[in-house]
Amino acid sequence: MHIGQYISGAAHIGLIGWALLGPVFQGKPEPVQTVGVAVISEAEFAALTEPERAPAPEMDVVVPVAPDLAPSQPFVGTEADTAPDQRPPESAEAAEAESVPDLSGAEVPEPAELIDEVPDLTPPSEEIAALQPREAEPETVQPAPRVAPEPVEAPEPDVKIDDTVREAVTPEDSSEAAPEEPQEATAPEAASTEIATEAKVGAPSTSVRPKLRPAAPAEPKPSAEDSIAAALAEAGAQEQAETPAAPSGPPLTRGEKDALRVSVQNCWVVDVGSRAANVTVTVGMKMTREGKVDGAISLLASEGGDDEATKVAFEAARRAVLRCQKGGYKLPIDKYEHWREIEITFNPEKMRLK
Amino acid sequence: MRFLAALLMGMMVLGQMASAQDGPLRIEITDGVVEPLPYAVPHFVAEGGAAGGFAKQLAEVVASDLSGTGLFREIPEKAHIAKITSFSAPVQFADWKAINAQALVTGAVSVSGSNLEVKFRVYDVFAGQELGNGLRFKGTVDGWRRMAHKVADAVYSRITGEGGYFDSRVVFVSETGPKDDRKKRLAIMDYDGANLQYLTDSSAIVLAPRFSPTGDKVLYTSYETGFPQVYILDVGSVQRRVLNSEAGTMSFAPRFAPDGRSLLLSITREGNTDIYRMSLAGGAPQRLTASPAIDTAPSFSPDGSQIVFESDRSGTQQLYVMPAGGGEPKRISFGQGRYGTPVWSPRGDLIAFTKQNKGRFHIGVMRTDGSEERLLTASFLDEGPTWAPNGRVIMFTRETQGASGSAALYSVDVSGRNLRKVKINGGGSDPAWSPLQD
Repeated sequence: MHIGQYISGAAHIGLIGWALLGPVFQGKPEPVQTVGVAVISEAEFAALTEPERAPAPEMDVVVPVAPDLAPSQPFVGTEADTAPDQRPPESAEAAEAESVPDLSGAEVPEPAELIDEVPDLTPPSEEIAALQPREAEPETVQPAPRVAPEPVEAPEPDVKIDDTVREAVTPEDSSEAAPEEPQEATAPEAASTEIATEAKVGAPSTSVRPKLRPAAPAEPKPSAEDSIAAALAEAGAQEQAETPAAPSGPPLTRGEKDALRVSVQNCWVVDVGSRAANVTVTVGMKMTREGKVDGAISLLASEGGDDEATKVAFEAARRAVLRCQKGGYKLPIDKYEHWREIEITFNPEKMRLK
Repeated sequence: MRFLAALLMGMMVLGQMASAQDGPLRIEITDGVVEPLPYAVPHFVAEGGAAGGFAKQLAEVVASDLSGTGLFREIPEKAHIAKITSFSAPVQFADWKAINAQALVTGAVSVSGSNLEVKFRVYDVFAGQELGNGLRFKGTVDGWRRMAHKVADAVYSRITGEGGYFDSRVVFVSETGPKDDRKKRLAIMDYDGANLQYLTDSSAIVLAPRFSPTGDKVLYTSYETGFPQVYILDVGSVQRRVLNSEAGTMSFAPRFAPDGRSLLLSITREGNTDIYRMSLAGGAPQRLTASPAIDTAPSFSPDGSQIVFESDRSGTQQLYVMPAGGGEPKRISFGQGRYGTPVWSPRGDLIAFTKQNKGRFHIGVMRTDGSEERLLTASFLDEGPTWAPNGRVIMFTRETQGASGSAALYSVDVSGRNLRKVKINGGGSDPAWSPLQD
């Protein structure tokens, strides 16, 4: 029943491996190819300064020192009209950060890096399960090409690295996106069903349940034929009823769980001075679609007291659940498979006398 | 950097896989509510005309016992939807759920001559089932209150899982008259103040009565001879005798050993007070402590293996624990102020004590190793704690300030809740709780 989750995990692990071996994360810092830009500008600058010197000798002024001291001075003092385009690179030397608008404006690699990181972090913050990350992954694939500026290093000589980079990256992304997409499209049979339901609220899972429940009560009828066959049929029906009950839609959110928790704890009366206050009990129950306890509440585990204290602690827990259910706990019906069975641990540790 | 990013991503994936719900929905609740449990005790069914008067009285005493604990809240009869007309009729749980009764006690009473028979059942309303099986008590008409207390004990036990304390008695020092001319005498009563009886007259000052483990004898200190001496008194016959008549000594602060065949007491010889153990069968007292300090107020642990007592050997009055046969005491109280009158809980887990600090008196409890000290009360003068038989409630003396001040008995739950004044005629001090009666 967790095939989808396992596939999701495998996909994530694959992505991790790709991240380790691939250039995905290298592309972030290296886009600071400002190094390359700086080199280029220096070379060009050297080339540019020479043509400017050319006019200097025309001045016939013996000022060879000027070019050695500072390149900016000659520019200011000399022909501003002749090389307006060349001056910017000089100012870029003084503060390369200013050159950013020139190069970044063309490459735009930085925003691509930010986009890559964001989709990776948002899913865990929501804790909605491993389903959404899958959706996020294809999104991360898309921003990946934008991170591609790394391959630019090979074609360093050209300033139009952006274009070349995109070309080099897109094939990688497309290669990854391709196998993922066909998996979703071609594998709807086994895994994609869960993936699809998880991503789309899991509406189909609810339609399956009604078939299974009626199946269980329907089988007691053949008991008249053969008691053994009837017993086997019942057992089989129960197994089937349990196995398909495996939750396939999105689980309850934290808020939904908290709502249930608060509802029950408001009816959990703790006698803080009793020995039962030292006992932690876990009770289990089946629920109806109306949010009411279906059948008996059972004691699953206990810790911290003798039999009598455990019995009292269990009875208090049972009273809490039964007393506050009233018309039924407010639980999302579309997620019924996730709360069809509930286990509640009543831990009075914080309430004990200290 | 790349490694950290990959590691973060891996942890994220594993976290998602782990958080994926597997099996039932699981939640944990750590905060409950502390409030009395609502219950209903309809008037018992009178099986026979002669039982009519007892049917109501029994239910009222049972309700008084349960509600007096502070753990239960009675739903008044006027709010009842269903009426119990037959003890064997099935219970309509829906009617009791509607008034939020979590427990229901039904009973029936019949009278045959001077004999009284009471039977009852306890139900968990929301579980829709009976707690335990029905019980039947037989006694005399005169003992109807005790039968009601026994019913209440059984109900209490079935709901809380702990023994009750309602069918018990308290011996104490009854005080009457003005503060400068107060008359003191031993008295005994039911735990709730009913059936008060006096065991001695007021001709001599009496102090610190203590029940025997069987509840049929009382140790106490009397100034009948002008000096404090320890006496033992038979509750049934009110016969008494002095236990330590050694000349030139004073004896006080007696307390029975758990086996009831010996006792601890303090004896002052030549100005030095130490703790002794002596047999009720006679013989010389065995000295357990030997310090120049004042060692007094001894109390056995329930298993009889240890003794807690107070001593000023450290310069201030503190609590110490030593082996039952004597030996090196271990100090267990280290808080500010002075500690005294320690009493070991019947459960064995706590020691109750009196504490004086900054001009205030407190009744408190601590673990037997001195840890987890908790002060339950605070007033001008609180002292002399005694444990209920189930180790759940502590009774003590509270005296008010001023010339017109008087002493009274109070009880408090070990949690510090449900402080109540015990209803008695006149004043009272030095209470001692009996064990549950047979």
